[in-house]
Amino acid sequence: MTVSPDVDRLIRETRRYEFADGLRDLQLAMLLGLGGLTAWLVFEPFWMTFVVRMAATYGRWAAWVGILPALVPPLVVLGMLGVMRVLRRRWLWRESGMVSPSRWAVPRRVNVLSAVILLGGLAVGLGLLKLGLVDASFLLRMLWTATGWSFGYTLLAMGRHLDLPRYRWLGLTGGILSTALLFLPLPFAQSSLVFGLLWCAMLAGSGLITLRRAALYRGAAGGG
Amino acid sequence: MAGEIREIAGFDRLIHEPARLAIMAVLSACESADFTYLENATGLTKGNLSAHLSKLEEGGYLAISKGFKGKYPHTECSLTPEGRRAFASYRKQYLALARRLGK
Repeated sequence: MTVSPDVDRLIRETRRYEFADGLRDLQLAMLLGLGGLTAWLVFEPFWMTFVVRMAATYGRWAAWVGILPALVPPLVVLGMLGVMRVLRRRWLWRESGMVSPSRWAVPRRVNVLSAVILLGGLAVGLGLLKLGLVDASFLLRMLWTATGWSFGYTLLAMGRHLDLPRYRWLGLTGGILSTALLFLPLPFAQSSLVFGLLWCAMLAGSGLITLRRAALYRGAAGGG
Repeated sequence: MAGEIREIAGFDRLIHEPARLAIMAVLSACESADFTYLENATGLTKGNLSAHLSKLEEGGYLAISKGFKGKYPHTECSLTPEGRRAFASYRKQYLALARRLGK
């Protein structure tokens, strides 16, 4: 090597490597999908009735069953991390090498702004409620809409920072579709489910397309 | 111009060499990377990469851990906190000079 290396390109490509096979998208899809499903289940009246009946029949300790669904998403995501490691070591990254990514994929200001968007959305919802322009269910729906804006912005920033066009599109589309939740007359439990399934479908689609491309590229490169 | 030349002379020589700069750039963007990834990303040969890694390790900028994954040897490299600081300072110096020369 005699010429000066393109340092910016090397840094960008190494940061992007973690997202190049679509497994991160699939992991996020699972987290949001299961998160939405759990929130729906926990806030649905039939679940509450079931937990109360369990406690009445088997004693107070049985009420702990009520919080079990909340443990499912983090456990599945942790399990998915193990699956990702094995898939990458044995198949996807066998020829190109292993990388442990940095903890933060985007600069700190993106995380700060993302939190500001979430809190700002909630503040707007609270303000409108105080003024009597909306009802309480609007504020609850705003919780998911603001989360969608915040997450969409993070994806958009990641797309820009890492030069990943699919994240720009995901962030933009997800942010816009999350706004639509505000205008759907749904109770909190159902808006949680719609929010989770919406993001899950978009991220799973993006992840599967990217994974297929990565697998085809490996096949063409003779990696099997 | 003399100022700029003095500034270039003040660059960290351990990092300024192109192959080592490429290694440092890759490792600055992650927690750690294995030998295969570094070889692919930098385009260096195994021998050349190995020699540069050793130099960076001797300089205290790099930590190398060697082990086995199954039956195969596996080498993992990561920047030490000192290495991260040195690379950040090199980049700052380099970009400042490039900006001035670009004017």
